[in-house]
Amino acid sequence: MSMLVRRSDTTEFRKRFRWIGLFMVLCFVGLIVRLFSLQILDGEEYRAIARENIIRRITLATTRGQILDRNGKVLARSRPSHNLYVVPKRLEMGATCVPEVEEAGKAPKRTCWTKLVGFLGIGEDERARLEQRLNDIRASDGPRKDQQILLKEDISRDVMANLKTHEAEMPGVAVVSVPVRFYPNEEIGAHLLGYMAEVDAEKLAALQSSGYIEGDRIGITGIERAWESYLRGTRGWEKVLVDARGRRRSGGDEIIEEPRKVDPIPGRDLRLTIDIDLVKAMDAAFRGELAGGVVAVDVRTGRILGMYSKPGFDPNALSGGSGKQVIRDAFRRLYLDPLKSALDKTVSGAYPPGSTFKPITALAALEKGMIDARQFTQCRGGLAFGKRTFRCTHVHGATDLHKAIAESCNVYFYRLAAEFGVGMDVIAEMGQKFGLGSRTGLGVNAEAAGRMPTRAWMTLRNKGQFRLGFGLNAAIGQGATTVTVLQLALAYAALANGGTLFQPQIVGAVETSAGTVVQEFSPRVRRQIDVRPENFALVQKALFAGVNETTGTAWRARLAGVEMAGKTGTAQVSHHVVRGQEAEKVWYFSREHAWFAGYSPMRAPEIAVVALVEHGGAGGKHAAPIAFEVVKAYQDLKVARQNGKRGATAKDNKGQGADPPAGGSP
Amino acid sequence: MTRNESRIRDLFDWPLFICVVLISVLGVINLYSATSVYTGARAELYISQIYWLFLGGIVGGVLIAVDYRHLERAAYFLYTFGVFTLALVFVLARDVRGSARWIEFGAFRFQPSEFTKLFLVIALAKYLHDDPRNEGRSLKELLIPAALTLVPGLLILKQPDLGTASIHFIVFLIIAALTKVRWKSVAVFVGTVAAVAPVVWTYILLPYQRQRVTTFLNPEADLLKGGWHAHHSRVAIGNGGLVGLGYLKGTQNQFNFLPDQYTDFPFPVFAEEWGLAGCIVLISLYLFLCVWGIRVASQARDRFGCVLAVGCSSILFCHAIINMGMTSGVLPVVGVTLPLFSYGGSSVLTMLTCAALIINVSMRRFSSVADRL
Repeated sequence: MSMLVRRSDTTEFRKRFRWIGLFMVLCFVGLIVRLFSLQILDGEEYRAIARENIIRRITLATTRGQILDRNGKVLARSRPSHNLYVVPKRLEMGATCVPEVEEAGKAPKRTCWTKLVGFLGIGEDERARLEQRLNDIRASDGPRKDQQILLKEDISRDVMANLKTHEAEMPGVAVVSVPVRFYPNEEIGAHLLGYMAEVDAEKLAALQSSGYIEGDRIGITGIERAWESYLRGTRGWEKVLVDARGRRRSGGDEIIEEPRKVDPIPGRDLRLTIDIDLVKAMDAAFRGELAGGVVAVDVRTGRILGMYSKPGFDPNALSGGSGKQVIRDAFRRLYLDPLKSALDKTVSGAYPPGSTFKPITALAALEKGMIDARQFTQCRGGLAFGKRTFRCTHVHGATDLHKAIAESCNVYFYRLAAEFGVGMDVIAEMGQKFGLGSRTGLGVNAEAAGRMPTRAWMTLRNKGQFRLGFGLNAAIGQGATTVTVLQLALAYAALANGGTLFQPQIVGAVETSAGTVVQEFSPRVRRQIDVRPENFALVQKALFAGVNETTGTAWRARLAGVEMAGKTGTAQVSHHVVRGQEAEKVWYFSREHAWFAGYSPMRAPEIAVVALVEHGGAGGKHAAPIAFEVVKAYQDLKVARQNGKRGATAKDNKGQGADPPAGGSP
Repeated sequence: MTRNESRIRDLFDWPLFICVVLISVLGVINLYSATSVYTGARAELYISQIYWLFLGGIVGGVLIAVDYRHLERAAYFLYTFGVFTLALVFVLARDVRGSARWIEFGAFRFQPSEFTKLFLVIALAKYLHDDPRNEGRSLKELLIPAALTLVPGLLILKQPDLGTASIHFIVFLIIAALTKVRWKSVAVFVGTVAAVAPVVWTYILLPYQRQRVTTFLNPEADLLKGGWHAHHSRVAIGNGGLVGLGYLKGTQNQFNFLPDQYTDFPFPVFAEEWGLAGCIVLISLYLFLCVWGIRVASQARDRFGCVLAVGCSSILFCHAIINMGMTSGVLPVVGVTLPLFSYGGSSVLTMLTCAALIINVSMRRFSSVADRL
């Protein structure tokens, strides 16, 4: 011990210990003051920040409502589209690759990429293309290589299942499922149903207040658009816990304050009044014709039983799911089509009605008491009026009103205008009473108004000069007179039911996804047409004769077992020949529109059908057979459904599902 | 012999020992929470920490058994050895996050700068022990202690490790404060520092170190880069409130917003779970540890023991105050561990050695007893 130093002269330090100790105490007290400020004074603020850090509000997707036909068959529903995303930079991170080292992009992506290609089962071409794209992104600067990019849309369910099982071996690969709209009947009913598309930036600005966000899909045409607010549903949200890297964490019941979740409200299902099988029959009936439209309405309710426009399009291609390229191609086809497949020809196109308009002219004359129905006039194949000769189809000889309608004599109607004072205004007034020349208010697709030209309108149009010849044209539904197929169908329904003009209806009921009816729409009468019953009877009889007498214009088209009354029409068109247009096209576009408008059966009519074949030629030959076939299909379907129903009720008394036919009086 | 044993029991510094044990226990409990976020090897760190504590206990026991005055002779040798290992770092060490601080012996690695501060304290103690004075010192007379500090200090700054380097300087300043320095000299010193500081700022500090300091001065400016640690550790502390969220329930910790929560940021974990109440308990323990060390110094039998105890207390004090200060946002973020709370073998061994040396000085305060032991 003695070898250790033994100096203990610590006097130099003596006074300092206290100061050093005090310094330390002050430092620690300062720290406590700081903690007091953080934890007590600003505690609430920091607690709020800490909560914000971990609680995130995520939106819960809703499902769009289905569109069903009157019998509950699905016309439009949502299906999942499985999209394959990859993070270019992470994709190569197999067991052997370090991405930073192999940035040059030569050797990498052996393990994972080849595996992925194997699962996808894509060909060499596509593989090379995708590889090129990925390499380009990987070689580029900027954040893109770290972000998920869409590699392939709508992969099949099997491929997806395979990818999910091997997810762990393929970092950077993810399958995200998004709902897309699916139309099982493809082209059938496409115009009526419409299609969906991603909401564009312009619309988004206006729609943001209604809860639309970027990437949302919205109905663009048809019912999808008109009933968007019903179909769409409401998004929900949920507060979830996430960690610093944004990964979801479970639990949090005691951390997250109420309300924690708002469930999404699924969109409403729409039950339409149409019978998709009838629409399919319309499509079948249109075989051999290029373009046109058919509308079938219930005479007793104004409900639309079927609507069809040709040429159609596949709304599946437009509504996405199969990739942007497919959508672009589909749009190009749609808008470059010379036959205007984008146009709903049943409501958006206005055409001269031709002879189908004659019953209206006849009623106008009868109501004004200007003619006697029994009075005969001579048809010699034409009528010289002014400097022109107005032609008839052939020489009808002595013609009264009945024959004039049944055999479609133009001269008779020319005379009404030229000699009996049935002027344009009288005709237009009657047309308007039947709803012609004004929008029906269907609400689906952009409706054309059509036109019932008056004398004043014609004068304005022709620089102050009115010629009586205009009136002659108007009497036979030519000239400036135009109607839509739907207008004419409703007018003929009114002719058939004795003067009740209905508001057309396409949606019969709004239902929840569980099938409970939320809202039901009863028939709405637009107007009671004040035409005397005996005058209706006269015209109805003539329309019946037009089909059922050997001399009637539709006689050749009639089908066994189909009791029908109706009127053919062959409406001339004025085609402006574009220089250099091919002869074939000129011939086609100069051809008359073929019409047939009618109803069935004669007594107690149920269905009114109007068929238009654009540039089809003679109405009796091209349009009438379509209408007959549609009515035949309607009858067959009705019988089949009644039998099926009776069978079901007889068996177990559980007659559910199928609705009664429209306005179904037992 | 039995007499001696009972003497040891009487003279042993129980308050200090118990205080160290309490902090260690709290530290392990807190480490368990801090690593509960992880899965795999890192979740087991608290067990390794217990091993390190036991190893540190054994080392401390040995150090307590040997009279501290034996260190006096080894002082300059230890100091030289420390500086040598620091120099070795530049040759051998691998970069960890942009700075080279570690030396590896096979599977074993250690951080020389953790030990050099102890060797510095011993060297300074030796120097001041050999240079007793009663009149005030001039700066010139502190030149050698200053040089002793600057050599390891600058080497560590070069690693770069701003935190540990500044601990060397602060420990030196506290020990210098122990001596009688002329007021004039103090004034000259402060003036020099004020003149040199801008030069150090511009030419010696690295950009990331400068950024940390600027971030500290304006914490909200760059939340995602330099401010991330500081911001989230402040939020965690604030989130604790008065009594805390409860053990294992701190959200900032559990949801991974505290990076390095088991090395440099265990305090926010503790503060979030135990609140101001827990913090006051913990700070009181650290305060007791440091002030008790100064008390021991004041009772030391010789100048060597006196400076040794003050130096060791200063090391503990610096670590505690810098770490808690940086996590609570009153000091810039530098890599300084919290004694016995941060995970790490080097850190645990250093801290326990400091405590052991203080106990050693305390036990041998009465010369007669010391001689007999």
